[in-house]
Amino acid sequence: MDYILSILVFFPAIAALLGFVIDKDSARVYGITVAAIEFFLSLWLWFSFDGSNAGMQFVELIPVIPDFGVNYYLGVDGISLFIILMTTMMTLIGIMSLSVKENVKNMIITLLFLEMTMVGVFVSLDAIIFYLFWELSLVPMLYIIGAWGGSLRVYAAVKFFLYTFAGSLIMLVGMLFMAYTYQSLTGVWSFALTDWYALVLPVSYQMWLFAAFFIGFAIKVPMFPFHTWLPYAHGQAPTIGSVILAAVLLKMGTYGFVRFSLPLFPDAAVIWITPIAVLSIIMIIYTAMVAYAQKDMKQVIAYSSVSHMGIVMLGIFAMNAEGIGGSVFQMLSHGIVSGALFMLVGVIYDRRHTKMMDEFGGIAAVMPKYAVIFGIMLVASVGLPLTIGFVGEFLVLIGFYQVSPIMTILAGTSIIIGSVYMLSLFKKSFFGPVTKEENRNLKDLDAKETWSLVPLVAIVVWLGIYPKPILDPIDNSVKAMLNFMDEKAITQEAKDMIHVAKSTKEAK
Amino acid sequence: MMENLVYIALFAPLVSSLFAAMFGMSQRKTFVGVIASLLLFTSFVASATLAVEVFTTGEAIAVTMMQWIGMGDLYIPFGFVVDQVSVTMMTMVSLISTIVHVYSIGYMDHDKSFNRFFSYLSAFVFSMMVLVMSDNFAGLFIGWEGVGVCSWLLIGFWYHKPDQSREDNPSISPSWAANEAFIMNRIADLGMLVGLFILYWNVGSLQYDAVFAAIPNLDQWILNGAAIALFIGAMGKSAQFPLHTWLTDAMEGPTPVSALIHAATMVTAGVFLVIRANPLFAVTPEVSYFIAALGTFVAFFAASMALVNRDLKRIIAFSTLSQLGYMFAAAGLGAYWIALFHLVAHAFFKALLFLGAGNVMHAMHDELDIFKMGGLKKVMRPTYIYMGLASLTLAGIFPLAGFFSKDAIIETAFNEGTYILWIMLVVTAGMTAFYSFRQVFLTFHGTERYDHHEIHPHEMYKFVLIAMSPLAILAVIAGFFKGGFETFVTSLLPAYHMSEHTHHYVWLLTAIVTLFAVGGILLAYLKYNKGLERNEKLENSFIYKLLANQYYIPRLYEEMISKPYAMISEKFWHGVDLKIVDRTVDGIAHFLYRSGDVNRRMQTGNLSHYLNWMAVGAVVLMVAAAVTAMIG
Repeated sequence: MDYILSILVFFPAIAALLGFVIDKDSARVYGITVAAIEFFLSLWLWFSFDGSNAGMQFVELIPVIPDFGVNYYLGVDGISLFIILMTTMMTLIGIMSLSVKENVKNMIITLLFLEMTMVGVFVSLDAIIFYLFWELSLVPMLYIIGAWGGSLRVYAAVKFFLYTFAGSLIMLVGMLFMAYTYQSLTGVWSFALTDWYALVLPVSYQMWLFAAFFIGFAIKVPMFPFHTWLPYAHGQAPTIGSVILAAVLLKMGTYGFVRFSLPLFPDAAVIWITPIAVLSIIMIIYTAMVAYAQKDMKQVIAYSSVSHMGIVMLGIFAMNAEGIGGSVFQMLSHGIVSGALFMLVGVIYDRRHTKMMDEFGGIAAVMPKYAVIFGIMLVASVGLPLTIGFVGEFLVLIGFYQVSPIMTILAGTSIIIGSVYMLSLFKKSFFGPVTKEENRNLKDLDAKETWSLVPLVAIVVWLGIYPKPILDPIDNSVKAMLNFMDEKAITQEAKDMIHVAKSTKEAK
Repeated sequence: MMENLVYIALFAPLVSSLFAAMFGMSQRKTFVGVIASLLLFTSFVASATLAVEVFTTGEAIAVTMMQWIGMGDLYIPFGFVVDQVSVTMMTMVSLISTIVHVYSIGYMDHDKSFNRFFSYLSAFVFSMMVLVMSDNFAGLFIGWEGVGVCSWLLIGFWYHKPDQSREDNPSISPSWAANEAFIMNRIADLGMLVGLFILYWNVGSLQYDAVFAAIPNLDQWILNGAAIALFIGAMGKSAQFPLHTWLTDAMEGPTPVSALIHAATMVTAGVFLVIRANPLFAVTPEVSYFIAALGTFVAFFAASMALVNRDLKRIIAFSTLSQLGYMFAAAGLGAYWIALFHLVAHAFFKALLFLGAGNVMHAMHDELDIFKMGGLKKVMRPTYIYMGLASLTLAGIFPLAGFFSKDAIIETAFNEGTYILWIMLVVTAGMTAFYSFRQVFLTFHGTERYDHHEIHPHEMYKFVLIAMSPLAILAVIAGFFKGGFETFVTSLLPAYHMSEHTHHYVWLLTAIVTLFAVGGILLAYLKYNKGLERNEKLENSFIYKLLANQYYIPRLYEEMISKPYAMISEKFWHGVDLKIVDRTVDGIAHFLYRSGDVNRRMQTGNLSHYLNWMAVGAVVLMVAAAVTAMIG
């Protein structure tokens, strides 16, 4: 299958177009079928993927605007592979658990378009194509928040759109400048990432370009202090919107750092370690505290997302395989766990039409199955060993310890304050006596909800116990990238900071 | 063959937990408890067989199951080692777990969440087995966190109970106590993680043997750092000051849980860690001395609070805390095998004591205030004998197990020339005897102070009493095996011998400790045997109030940590996040908004149309892109 990546990108889009003519009542089934096929395609991609090959695989290259070096250029490596898998899986599970009642057909079509843009972002190896998918992904999400959201949906949707759009415009400027530099140095235009990788830039150029990309990515992550769009977006978005937003859209930012910022600008990245680490630590501690102050269950999860993304950011700038690999894994685990948590909040919202914690209490006795699954996701979220949440967090912290023990200890407080807000959420909503009459007869999870959540539980446990199938390809690609960065770096400081794994050195 | 036994010992509790979990949401079924107990017994038999094997061959059995985490240069397997230390722990843990499981069939008799209870309890045992059997620090950490979560689940087992004020219930509520325990342990776990990080970056591995082999090549400050960090981890699990408050609050859990987790096994994990990592602590004398000093302080400190407490379970919890202090004192002074011996002996008699307390609670309809008991020996003779025996052991009376183990620790303090520690430990031994017997006399002797119309005390089921008997036997005879135990474990742990000088004084030392212990018992007898005479003046004195309120430490934590944390969080949200960060963003946006012409349309336009057009635009763009790609 030479064109599997193109198929993965455009199959959902074509299916979405066809979706316009599908009957309203069969839209759900249609959506699930398409998403399932897409998911199986991505599984196939995984099985045909050569885990021992650290480079780009399934590469497709079709020139689009040859004069300017814009190509339709796709490829996948160990870093992007699993994010793609997670994207297709979360889309499938999201559609399965869809509880939206109005305009289901439009929702399905929007989600399928969104899926195209998300997969597109993670397979693009050409900056222009990447940018196209990146921007296009805003539209369906804007639509989801704006059309199916809560009472403040217009404000939230516009804020989300303008904020991230502004960031990516600056990123676009960076990309154009990068291409221009490439042209002036080599004489030809190219937007191909692999061409850009080969380019060794002076540190001052690297700094400016890094900054431009940083704005685009940081808003998406979202890094402190660019995070305030997120609580609004989550607060107003329907469950499905939050699930996709938390699970996949945020990962675009951190993925961007790994794919663009590090290998393109290794020297600048090393110079930026401390400022970014400081922001990440603020993100981790400050938003975890803000999460603790929340009264709305969904907002707790929303702020906890920011806090966990801080861990991801920190790991990326550890400049060693443990940290970066841990970050990539943490992206997956955060996607699954926070996605599941948003779905769980959606479950209770569908029943009571409120997400306020003081409206609940004692739910564990009324909805035991729900409480068990929530509990499992909770311990995964606080990073309990043998759940998916531990592996990434542990690797990130151990990785960053090499850079700075003090900052690692500060970031490590995440395991304490993370359990503070999660346990207090659980206590307020699930424990204690049932205080409200309305809660006494809440229905436990129905079949649809159970079957959407059980696979996530299975993955949380499976990858907590046996992460090897995922870690190995990530490990290979990350080591290769670090090795490349080390060779490419021009300053001695950067060469000292970038830590090539011993096992890579021996292999050479 | 032996490899299979290792897996049976390890996984039988997991199977038990999963089996019970299958019935977690259904009606109470006795067979769930029975099968869980049988599986635990299987684990015990496997552990005991392994113990015999290790004893006869003198060699450790190591198995590596599979890889867990591999990234960069980090490689962590699921590996297990059964050596003299781990097999001792395994046998002790599985034995006490089996007894507690059987006990729980009776104790949790009327609880509607009977099946769920067994699921949690067995999951705990599995985690504990992982903790003691792992052959690397990361695997130990799995068990470490696993027991933490199980402890959280079990302390909060009766989660439906509402929060109360601290005056009505010092633990506030089971769910509150559970969260407190978890969070406090997490604070210590961060220390533990840092210890792992230090070791990894300096050794390149987290395997015990690799780390211990590398110790001679490491700088002293690295060793000290690692030892301090690991010990901070140990302080959380073993509830050492200042992370001790969770242990007494953990008494909110069902009593079998207190016996198993918060007395015999989990809380000793910290001591186990120090013993396990003895090659590290042996080369960090300052850190070790600190451990010993802190242990001694905690022994004294906890015993002082037990002197005036009125809550049956809390008194025993304080005594656990105090005995953990003894263990740390021994380990810190380098007498690792003595620490391990006391750990095991303590597990037997303390579990017995707690289970006895469970019988009393069962009889008294969950009444815990010993001021409202009395005269129970008439109706509960076997329990009285069990608790009396356990208390005598705890007090360190010859020839019971506690005498041999505790005396050895006190002797060690003398032997090391740390006389201040020695004096404190001796005095604490006297206090221990006093509060233990204060509790026994107030519960079982004297006048009946409970309401006869409401409470009709009755003895526990026969099978439960029989199940407790092995603990009683072990509490009596364990001390006789001290010599054999020493030879067994010191083939792995460093030997520790008393000097000539100490030998010379050994009779005198023993006599002094026994004098204090007997003195404590006599004092309790004189004061409380007849019954309770309240002394208003004493109870209103400053010292009494200070002790009764745990030196006001829980309150201090609440005022100095919990409340400010909540307040700052709130400030961060409303004051910073909404007012500063977000408003700045909106301010910039509004500025651009007003100055922009194009944007004005958004104020009047119909948003849903607008959105629809955007979607259409996206489709067109995408089609265009696709088409160009095909042609191009």
